[in-house]
Order: sequence, then structure tokens, then C-alpha cells
Amino acid sequence: MPALIVALGYYLAARVGFAFTLQPHPISTLWPPNALLMAALLLSPPRSWWVLLVAALPAHLLAELQSGVPLAMVLGWYASNCSEALIGAGLVRWCIAAPVRLDSLRSAGLLLLLGGLAAPLASSFLDAGLVKLIGFGEGEYWTLVRMRFSANVLAEITIVPLVLAWADWRPAAVRAMPLARRVEVAALFLALLAVSLLAFDLPLFGANLAPALWYAPLPFLLWAAVRFGVLGTTTSLALLVVVTIWGAIHGMGPFTGGTPQDTARDLQFFLIAASLPLLLLAVALEERSRAEREAHEQRLQLTHLSRVAMLGEMSGGLAHELNQPLTAILSNAQAAEHLIANQTIDNNELREILRDIIAADQRAGEVIRRLRALFKRGETHLERLDANELVRETLTLAQGDLATRSIAPVLKLAPGALAIHGDRIQLEQVMLNLILNAAQAMAEHTAAERTLTVRSAGNGSWVYLSFADRGPGFAPEMVEKLFEPFYTTKPLGLGLGLSISRSIVRAHGGRLWGASHAAHGASFHIALPAVRAD
Amino acid sequence: MPFIAVVDDEESVRKALRRLLRAAGLEAESYASGQEFLAHAAEREPDCVVLDLHMPSMSGRQLLPQIRNLATRPPVVVITAHDTPDNKEECLAAGACAYLCKPLEDRLLLNAISAALRVNASGPKRL
Repeated sequence: MPALIVALGYYLAARVGFAFTLQPHPISTLWPPNALLMAALLLSPPRSWWVLLVAALPAHLLAELQSGVPLAMVLGWYASNCSEALIGAGLVRWCIAAPVRLDSLRSAGLLLLLGGLAAPLASSFLDAGLVKLIGFGEGEYWTLVRMRFSANVLAEITIVPLVLAWADWRPAAVRAMPLARRVEVAALFLALLAVSLLAFDLPLFGANLAPALWYAPLPFLLWAAVRFGVLGTTTSLALLVVVTIWGAIHGMGPFTGGTPQDTARDLQFFLIAASLPLLLLAVALEERSRAEREAHEQRLQLTHLSRVAMLGEMSGGLAHELNQPLTAILSNAQAAEHLIANQTIDNNELREILRDIIAADQRAGEVIRRLRALFKRGETHLERLDANELVRETLTLAQGDLATRSIAPVLKLAPGALAIHGDRIQLEQVMLNLILNAAQAMAEHTAAERTLTVRSAGNGSWVYLSFADRGPGFAPEMVEKLFEPFYTTKPLGLGLGLSISRSIVRAHGGRLWGASHAAHGASFHIALPAVRAD
Repeated sequence: MPFIAVVDDEESVRKALRRLLRAAGLEAESYASGQEFLAHAAEREPDCVVLDLHMPSMSGRQLLPQIRNLATRPPVVVITAHDTPDNKEECLAAGACAYLCKPLEDRLLLNAISAALRVNASGPKRL
């Protein structure tokens, strides 16, 4: 099947090559079959390359023999075409591990240098030599080398990246594309087509005026590079190449008025000069965007791992928090059993027992629901939240841990709601971290001395939350060190809690800082942008 | 009828245990904190105390010696929702006569109270 596709593609590419020939002396502006063959080799394992090269032969014969070229020359060109594909694919595969993809500047640079320049250059010497050896045509050797080289470079640097980019494309990508992005794609290509037609395919502008128009497609090509990566850029460049050459061979646009050789040279240099930097720009942007995505993903993973580790630390407290309602449920049910056995129960008492069982069950269910939410790993989900409600919910989760440490939190919350915009789970994670740190800092104190005070306040622009303990505090010079990754004062701590908490708060546009109060413990403060009431 | 005091900061547990003990034929009263219990104990000392270990401000561990110092030295059955090996040893060493984990099986709790009452009836009283 790949051999058939290559044969068909090679034949059609040769027809396009013939169609993109300047008259009256046939000068090729773009010769795509070699590029197509090179792309096919790059996408296939080397052991099957011979099959693809053999498959290209009938297509080559069919295309070339129609033009009345002697068989010896046709076979010579087949040899030089195959040599170009083989040299390019071989060198690229030697330097880049399979699969060859335009996913880094290094890969793209090597592909363009070896496949786009070295291979056409080497094979052009062979090609021109064969032409002179067979005695076909009247061109000078070096002229033949230059003309073939530039036509093939243009084809290699536009078609090979295009094929490689589209080889990775899947129809599912379109189905998953939001409507706005589909509209943007359509707008980009329509605008690029319109501007390219205006600049290169209309007899409106003379050759002297037109050079200024060469830059007309540039904004749209940059748009493609920035917004649609390598796939968008290679496709846009292919469109530009087709429209520009079409205009030139029909005597329209800026590339007219000179000899066919001059026209081909100017056209090719313009298109090569436009393609190389834009392609590299698209690859660089995509590489950076991928690195950012990976960093984001790793941050999410680390945040989740830290949260799970924290919940592990809280396991005793969480067991306490679940055992309490379970105790209420069991003792109420067994009390009812005793009352029934004694025949001393009345309906009102039974109703009250059942009501208490239901309430305890709901409380246990709520603890489990919150735990599941915290254990779950997910993308950031921003929503409007009430900071006071968030504090209360977080304390509900921490209640078991605080209870096992005989700590009753003191709440001094601002009246009413304090609206903020944020991810509920991530902000709960930050607060849980601060609450657990505070609780652990007071481990050496007696129960009466263990005080955790949680305050909230708002001034319209900012919402402030603070968590103050009565532990030993920390030296003032340690205040920033506490937020460094892997710094910990706990024997079994990972040292990531405060560092991740600070990055979460920063991602919410806020600040997290600590303060130590001599002999009065430490306090940690969160400032988050307030959302104005509707 | 023996008088049992339940000391637990968790209201739902407090209420359920009081209900269970009364259903089992005991006289039971419950208190939300060590301070509240001590205030009432001055008027009437219980025959047995069911004491939660983890409470804010005054933990069960802190309250235990104070209960054992009351005039009638009521026996104490410690209950906890957060069991650790250290807790059990410490409580028993501090004078608790039983250590039970929540959720509580009624049979275990009633047996522990019954055993505590028997032991206390034969033991010395502080004069």
C-alpha cells in the first residue's frame, strides 16, 4: 500500500512539476517528486526503502516518457532523483532517531540543512553530469546545476516538512477543534489566499511596483506560525508557493518581465527566503509551547502528589473524622435495638434516632466526598468562591487531625462573604497545608496552649486569610527559606508543601508569606484578588 | 442504678452514647468537655466515666488523672476515634480500666462498664 501511494504521488508530483514550468524555454520552478520520495523514505523504515524506490520507477517512466525525452535521459534523471531522496533521507536518519518529526529546532535545522540543501546540491552535480554525458539539451554544466539545485531546494524545504506534518494529522483533531478555532483556520487561509492572489496572480501591478507586495502575505504567514504551528505554517507556505508560481508562469505578479531563468531564480529565492525562517519560527514556537505544556503538566502532577502526601499525613485524623459519625450511627442503632427488645420505644424516639443516624451518615458521606475531590487529579478549574466558606470547609476536613491533637481552631472571619476567583481544590490544599503545619508546630505544647487562629478580612481589592499558631515560630532569616522546595523542618517532610502552596497562590494572582512572632508562634498569610460583588 | 458520665466533645457521639446507655438500663449523663464534667462532678460523682481521648483545650489524657483523683475514684473507660499503640499503654498506665476504639460495639462497651463497676465496688476509696 505505501508503495502504491508513493507511485501515485510521484506521478502526480511530476505532473505538477511539469505544469510549474516557465515557457518558452522549459525552466522548472519547482520539482516536487524528489521531495515526495524523500518524505516517503523518512516516514518508512530503511529496510523498505528499496520497495519505495522501485515503486517510483514506473511512475517516473510514465510521467517523463510522455514528454518525448530519450529513455537514457529519463533513466538518468530517475537515478539522480533517487540519489537525492536517498542522500537526504539517509543523512537525516543518521542524525535523527526515528520517527523523524519537526518537533525541535535541532530536528528541523538538520532536516533543512541535510535534506533541503545538501541532498539537492549533491544530486544536482550528478544530474547535470548525466545530462552532459547523455548529451541532452544545450545548457552549460554549472547553469544546469544551479537551476536544478534551486528548483529542488524549494521543493525539499516546502514539501518534505508539509508531508511530515500532515503524516501526524488525524481527523479526530478536527472533531476536537472548537468552533472558534475552525473559523480562525478558515479565516487565515481565505485571507492568505486572497492576499497572495492579489499580490502574485493579478496583472494589476507592474514589475517595478510589485516588490513592495512581496511582503503582503507575511502577516498571514506569521499568524499561521504563531497560532497553528508547523502544520499551519507548512500548509500556508505550500499555498503561497502554488499561488506565486501560478502567477509567474501565467505572466502575472511581480515575477514577470525577465528571462525565464531570471524569473525562476527570483521566484525561487523569494520563496526559499520566506519559507526557511517561518518554518524555523513555527518549530521554535511549537517546541516552546510543548515545553510549557510539559512543565504545566509536571506542576499539576507535583501539586497532586503533594496533596496526596499531605492526605497521607492526615490519615489518622481522617480516620477520626469518619469514626465519629460511624460511632454515632452504630450506637444509635444499637440503642434502638435495646429499646425494641425492652419494648420501651415510642415512635417519637424512634424518629429522633433515625434522624440522628441520617445526619451522621450524611456527615460521613460529606467527608468521603471531599476526600475524593482532594485525591482526584484534574486540571485547574476556576470558579467564584467565598473565602470564608472555603475556610470552614477546609477546617471540616482538618477537624479530625486537629481533634486528635486536641486543637480547637478559633475562627475570626469577616462578616458576610469574601468573593474570590479560584480553584477550590488547590486553595483547600494551600489552607490544609498551613493548618497542618500550624498543628504540627504545636505538638510539644499542652492542649490548653495549642491555639490555631484563622482570620479573614477584605478591603474590596484583596481578600486576606491568616493562620496563626502558638508554636515556637522560626528565626526571621528563615522566613523565605521555608518556601524553598525540599526545605523542611519535619523529620519525614518532603519540603514541598509551602513551595507548592506559594506557587498555587501566585497562579491565582495572590501572595503567600510567613511571619514569626517571638514567643507567640508563627503566622502565614494569604492575599488573593477580591472579586467585586455583582 | 449506676450513674455513668460520658465526656466527649462530639455532640452526635455524646448523644448516641447517652441514649445507648440509658436504653441498656443505666443512668447516663453527658458532658462536652473536661471542664464541664469536673464542674458537675463536684455535685455528684459518677460511678463510671466513659471518656473520649481527643478533646480540645483539655484532652482525655489530661482529664484522666483528675478523675482518678476524685473522692470516689470512679473507674474510667477510655474511648477514641484515633487509636495508636502509645495511647492505649499510656491510658492504662494512668489508671483507665479499659481502652476501646470507636465505633463502639454496645456489648464491648457495656461489658467494660460492668467490669469497671465490679472492680470499683471491691477497690479502695479515697477518704
